[in-house]
Amino acid sequence: MNPHMLAQLLVQLIVIIAVSRLIGRGARWLGQPLVIAEVVAGIALGPSLLGWLAPGAMHWLFPPESMPFLKMLAEVGLVLFMFLIGLELDPKLLKGRGHASVAISHSSIIVPFALGAVAGALWLYKSLSSPDVPFSSFVLFMGVSMSITAFPVLARILTERGLMQSKLGAIAIACAAVDDVTAWCILAFVVSLVRASDLAHAGLTTLFALLYIGFMLLLVKPFLARLGARVANREGLTQNVVAITMVLLLASAWTTEYIGIHSLFGAFMFGAVIPKEGGLAAALAEKLEDVAVVLLLPVFFAFSGLRTQVGLLDTPEAWLTCGVIIVLACLGKFGGSAVAARLTGLRWREAGAIGVLMNTRGLMELIVLNLGLDLGVISPTLFTMMVIMALVTTFMTTPLLRVLYSPEELAREQLARTPEGPPPPSAYTVLLCVSHGQAGPGMAVLSRALAGERNEANLYALHLLSPDRALKARADEALDPSAASGGALTPLVGRAEKLGLSVRTLSFVSSEPARDICRTAQAKRADLVLLGWHKPLFSQTVLGGTVHEVMQEAGGTVAVLVDRGLTQVRRVLVPFVGSRHDRAALGLARRLVKQAGAEVTVLHVTSPEGAGAGRAQVEELFPAEEGAAVKLKVVRHMSPEEAALEEAKAGYDLVVVGLGAEWGLEDRLFGVQRERIVRDAPASLLLVRHPEGATVLAQTPEQARTQGASSETTQPAGARS
Amino acid sequence: MHLGATLRLLRVDAGLSLRDLARRIGVSSAYLSRVENGVDAPPTQERLTAIARELDVPPGLLMDVANRVSPYVAGYLEDVPAAGTLMLDIARRKLNGSQLARVRAFLDAEFPLREVRGDEPVPPLAPLLSAERVVVQLSCGDYEDALDVAAGRLAAALPGMDAAVLAQGLRQREGETPSQVGNGVAVPHAFVAGAAPVAALVTLARPLKVDAPDGQPLRLVVALVDGHVGRARLMRLAHVARLAGRGLADRLQGAEEPQRVLETLEELEALR
Repeated sequence: MNPHMLAQLLVQLIVIIAVSRLIGRGARWLGQPLVIAEVVAGIALGPSLLGWLAPGAMHWLFPPESMPFLKMLAEVGLVLFMFLIGLELDPKLLKGRGHASVAISHSSIIVPFALGAVAGALWLYKSLSSPDVPFSSFVLFMGVSMSITAFPVLARILTERGLMQSKLGAIAIACAAVDDVTAWCILAFVVSLVRASDLAHAGLTTLFALLYIGFMLLLVKPFLARLGARVANREGLTQNVVAITMVLLLASAWTTEYIGIHSLFGAFMFGAVIPKEGGLAAALAEKLEDVAVVLLLPVFFAFSGLRTQVGLLDTPEAWLTCGVIIVLACLGKFGGSAVAARLTGLRWREAGAIGVLMNTRGLMELIVLNLGLDLGVISPTLFTMMVIMALVTTFMTTPLLRVLYSPEELAREQLARTPEGPPPPSAYTVLLCVSHGQAGPGMAVLSRALAGERNEANLYALHLLSPDRALKARADEALDPSAASGGALTPLVGRAEKLGLSVRTLSFVSSEPARDICRTAQAKRADLVLLGWHKPLFSQTVLGGTVHEVMQEAGGTVAVLVDRGLTQVRRVLVPFVGSRHDRAALGLARRLVKQAGAEVTVLHVTSPEGAGAGRAQVEELFPAEEGAAVKLKVVRHMSPEEAALEEAKAGYDLVVVGLGAEWGLEDRLFGVQRERIVRDAPASLLLVRHPEGATVLAQTPEQARTQGASSETTQPAGARS
Repeated sequence: MHLGATLRLLRVDAGLSLRDLARRIGVSSAYLSRVENGVDAPPTQERLTAIARELDVPPGLLMDVANRVSPYVAGYLEDVPAAGTLMLDIARRKLNGSQLARVRAFLDAEFPLREVRGDEPVPPLAPLLSAERVVVQLSCGDYEDALDVAAGRLAAALPGMDAAVLAQGLRQREGETPSQVGNGVAVPHAFVAGAAPVAALVTLARPLKVDAPDGQPLRLVVALVDGHVGRARLMRLAHVARLAGRGLADRLQGAEEPQRVLETLEELEALR
């Protein structure tokens, strides 16, 4: 290269960068990505426009003898750029993708690939290729070039439109990443096929390529991970580290070039194996990006543009072919991914947006096309057609996206994003509501039995301070800062600690305790709200007052523990007639069997006249393997309440009973019933209420049917009257 | 108040990546990251203005959040010494919030600012609250519990909203970026389709030891729910951060009743 050539190159660079930036301003104004401008600038500087208007000027600016240097510069730029693409490719995008992205990405490769290959085989090979190009290479290449998605352009469009964090953006970028990797692998294969003279060579190339990939993944990747950790921890990105990565990058690119799959593949692969955590990738990208993207990439575009000769499309047929190629490309890519997206359950609008995004081919297509032209697989005419196709598909992305996925739509989606529906079912959650310290120990014992040996439950203890007592409580706290919220929770926490339970305490001032209990239970997704009860100063029924209010408002099972010195839960009695409350009680008992190994006796009371379906129900709820721990007693008695009371005197630790008139238990604001079972039973009691319409633990269809019949009798109608 | 944490909160809420914002205001993402983590000095006034422009919030609000107002005012007083006498007059009268608001109203009417869009008044917090959505003296062992309590109160104000879903939304947002803005205040927030903005406020009886950006234990949670994404929402978040900087947590610490909390808040934000 003589000094004159250097001057020539410098002028070329100045013109290329200036023109692409100039057109870039126009593209920005149209809301188009910069890539469009750079490609158009390249074409404008080439024979299509400049060469057509002023052949002399073009010849002066880009004389044929300067082309090799320009090509070299463009290739180096591409190596750097492919490295950046690899850097941007986070393996997290590839892993853990949902069902949707897998389906979409696969069909967005297969459909256009098939369309491209079929079109190439049946039609383009005959009309636009020469016989010395191997048929298989041409067909494969057409397939690949149709199925390219421009990962970087896509990423840029998504970022610019603020879609990166949206569901749509996440799916699109994951699909594009998969597409990219797949397409490059196929392309590497095609290149090796074209370059190898015979099948044996092709096989050898494939073998070396696989060895190379294995080497990169097994040896280079761990090394880079250690390098990345060093950069993250101590020294930051020093120039030595940059030098090491550069040398490795060039070596990797050289290896792939030597093997016979293109150097671009090596650069991409090296970028992909650099660890994305710890800032090495980000810092490298930041350092290299400007040089690669601003200085060198436009050279590549200009070089592509110089090879694009729109003049070659001089017949209506040629333009028609070009149009058909564009339609086929869109049909394959847009149609393939949109239909797949729709089938995975996205709405048409979203599916369409995904299709439009995946249809972006951008500069990746240009890279592939240049490769094909270099290899001689495609003719300059087909090259030009495909460049126009790439340009058109990229150009239409932004406006189409704006139509399909307007900012309003985006906002709506972001709103819908937050309430994602119920989170995955978590552990059994119990909200323990303690109004008085006295109730604490018994509740701890019961929680222990519900949680089991392995603490398989989330326990929250809630104590609500009434506004007028808040002051006093704070004064107590001032004296003893360790006591949580006035000490009501202390007995519970103390006992829980002895039992090895972990309970999270919660307390605040509330003027509407019942509503706050229900709200907290809802927010915690509590399976059970357990209310403590202590004998109040004035004679009062258990199921009145706050308990009543909670039972009315709660959306889940509510149980009140009447504690008569509960220290263990070994023998449990469940009186049963079959109401939904009874079934909830049985569900709790079942949990006690499972978690604490309790012995449960189910007392089924039937009227002397007819037999109930109780036995069948109980057997459904307690399958055979648990049968040993569950005894079923069937008693015929005029008054179920009496029968239960009699049985309760036989030495049980706990009686779990559903609410209902038959047990003399109805929740009313002002109780007038005597609640005999509460007053007279010697054991501790757990009174269970299950709201209508909520699912019962271990519900079977058969029970669901009976529930409808029984709910009439147990519904505390007119409770407020 | 921790400027960096607030900036990150606003940036994430505006949907910008660290790199995006850094590129747009022409700094390196490493620098911006250091600012967000509070390792680097707070940005200069010019940079803050650039950030405010990119985030589409009033620059004055962000400067207030960053405590950049006093140097700015000091610069003005140096240029126009006579203004110092006026400041002195205000100081001697010990004007409170609502009185200052009247002075401000006079200024706005007499000498309107040229940039109309730049410094419009910030939507206040107090109207979004009500006594039902103020929880005082919460003591709990975990920040999540506070979120759940706030979600419970908020859900009551949003018809058809499930408290658990809302709590989940708050937590998810929290997972994207911690909502603590320093000075013992956290601003968890969530989107709810079509909802008018509402807020819930929770004061903690026992300060919570959490990973606060400035190491101060958490004493106050202001949970925001919004039906729109954008400027108003960002301004609300920044406004709470500014209130935090003005000692909101300290002022509300002793409050025993929701009504008292609301009164204190109204007084604090009379001049926004």
